[in-house]
Amino acid sequence: MSRYRKIIKKVFASLLFIAFFSFNNSVMAADGEALFKANCANCHKPDKDYTGPALKGWSTRVPDAAWIYKWVANPAQMIASDAYSKTLFEKWKPTVMTGFSNLKKDEIDAIMKYVDDYAPPADPAGASAGQPATDNSLLFGILTLVLAVVAFILLQVNSNLRKLSDEKEGILRGEPVPFYRNKTYLMAGILLLFSLGGYYTIEGAIGLGRTKNYQPEQPIYYSHKVHAGVNQISCLYCHGSSQDSKTAGIPSVNVCMNCHMAIKEYAGEKIVKEDGTEVNGTAEIQKLYEYAGWNAATKSYNPDNNGDGVPDGAKPIEWVRIHNLPDHVYFNHSQHVKVGKQQCQTCHGNIQEMPEVYQFTDLSMGWCINCHRETKVDFLNKNTGEGNKFYSIYEKFHNDIKNKKMDSVTVESIGGTECQKCHY
Amino acid sequence: MKRLTNFSAIAVTAMIVLMSSCSKDKRKPGTVYMPDMAYSRTFETYAELDSLKYTSDVNDKGGMKIFFNAMPAAGTIKRGEMFPYTLPNDSNGYKMSASVPNPIDFMTGAEMSEAARLYNINCAICHGEKGQANGPLSAKVGAIANLTLDLYKQMKDGTMFHSITYGRNNLGNMGSYASQLNRKQRWQVIKYVRTLQGPAVADSTTKAAVKDSAAIVKK
Repeated sequence: MSRYRKIIKKVFASLLFIAFFSFNNSVMAADGEALFKANCANCHKPDKDYTGPALKGWSTRVPDAAWIYKWVANPAQMIASDAYSKTLFEKWKPTVMTGFSNLKKDEIDAIMKYVDDYAPPADPAGASAGQPATDNSLLFGILTLVLAVVAFILLQVNSNLRKLSDEKEGILRGEPVPFYRNKTYLMAGILLLFSLGGYYTIEGAIGLGRTKNYQPEQPIYYSHKVHAGVNQISCLYCHGSSQDSKTAGIPSVNVCMNCHMAIKEYAGEKIVKEDGTEVNGTAEIQKLYEYAGWNAATKSYNPDNNGDGVPDGAKPIEWVRIHNLPDHVYFNHSQHVKVGKQQCQTCHGNIQEMPEVYQFTDLSMGWCINCHRETKVDFLNKNTGEGNKFYSIYEKFHNDIKNKKMDSVTVESIGGTECQKCHY
Repeated sequence: MKRLTNFSAIAVTAMIVLMSSCSKDKRKPGTVYMPDMAYSRTFETYAELDSLKYTSDVNDKGGMKIFFNAMPAAGTIKRGEMFPYTLPNDSNGYKMSASVPNPIDFMTGAEMSEAARLYNINCAICHGEKGQANGPLSAKVGAIANLTLDLYKQMKDGTMFHSITYGRNNLGNMGSYASQLNRKQRWQVIKYVRTLQGPAVADSTTKAAVKDSAAIVKK
């Protein structure tokens, strides 16, 4: 018994020993990972060239093991004095690595160990294949037609059978009226035509001039889903003038180039159009470069030789406007975005989920008015000082709130449904 | 009988015409009531200019056209706007920018939260909400400055302003933000970045002084 205990003890001790060491290792590696991500990952990838060289296998390339400490502490000085550093600079210029004199030797060791042990994460098995959306309306249509035919045949069978039974029992009836002269059928048909015709006429008349679901083809396949959804770019990054101006503003090409100077290719999830063709994101970015007059190979704009103030070959992108109010309606974006603090999605729908933007609301007057009736303004609370100070002049409402006659102020109550507010 | 056939024929054609005229092609905007009330006769934003009357080409003096390019007249400053930043976009200008002081020395709480909002819209996408270069796009753009590093704590406001105004295209991947943030907003955002960085690190001289004093205490 005691022998067993001894063995168990030994096994336990060695297990503990192994566990301790492996745990210790993982702590080291994690440390290296954190340090790498905080300090190096912006310019280096372990296994791929990026802004700077791939770091994996560094020890086989550098002249001696101590080189790395000197280099990390002060790259500029090393370039001036050391031959290998100089060749490195020649290869990657004009970029010079930032010095990290704050990193200690053991921290650099941890980073370099993490880099050498790095294995790329396995691809998530089975990239989600997009389920093609099935449209059932055709199926339902056919089904309805079949059922209608069956019902018609049954009616005919019914009348024939009645005729037979009538003959058997000797009841005499007149020659049956064919269905197309049957008054009931005719009446039903006319009523159906009348209501259908009326429905479509009225529907068409109301819809005239409204462009709900309008989804024009744009000069560049720009996916709001990729930009605002996947990459979480704020709407106001590109459409910043919606805070200060009547118009939401289409970003000028330089705003696109802020990111696309660096992002040359699309590597995200496959984009498939509704008709099933695949969108080549990288080719669309190339189109942008053409509009901007940008040379991706030299990483610079084309020279302006013809003196028109823009790089040669650059031209504006003629985006097709989707949301459009008639001229007899005044609408101001800044009033809604900045003062009213409305989300873009309230009127434009879930833009961040639209590959191609379409008009989400009908922008009809009824829709405007409805929102003005329901939306509360950021009314000034005189006790706490919270809210928009503009509303301090509404004495009556302040008194009403004080006397508990009303609890909140809507856009309508400050005149948001007056005709002249928007039509003048 | 004949009348009935005629009637139904007319009804069916009417239906088909009506329905086909209302069928919507989502790629087309459709028609409007009274186009002269719907489409503006004055120039709206992004409206196409009549190239027969207007030109944006400064050199086009021959055709007697009206020059129009939607840019403010040269040498004018918008009311309330700060004076222009005059250092040129080259390495010399970059060096000189360090001596340009931040004209804003005090910001109220509301101004600071506005600066934070602007930072989160325009900068945080790469530099991260806390300035640690971990924004959603940081991995895709690459070479993002971690603003909490000592290097950037020591960087002067003027140099930051220079980088935001012209971009750091030749070295890094940052473009110009002059079209997205006006001058005042740029200086305010720099003030906000300072709050993200935490206490400024002592540069080497003061560090040495601290060491000395520590030594004295030891003695």
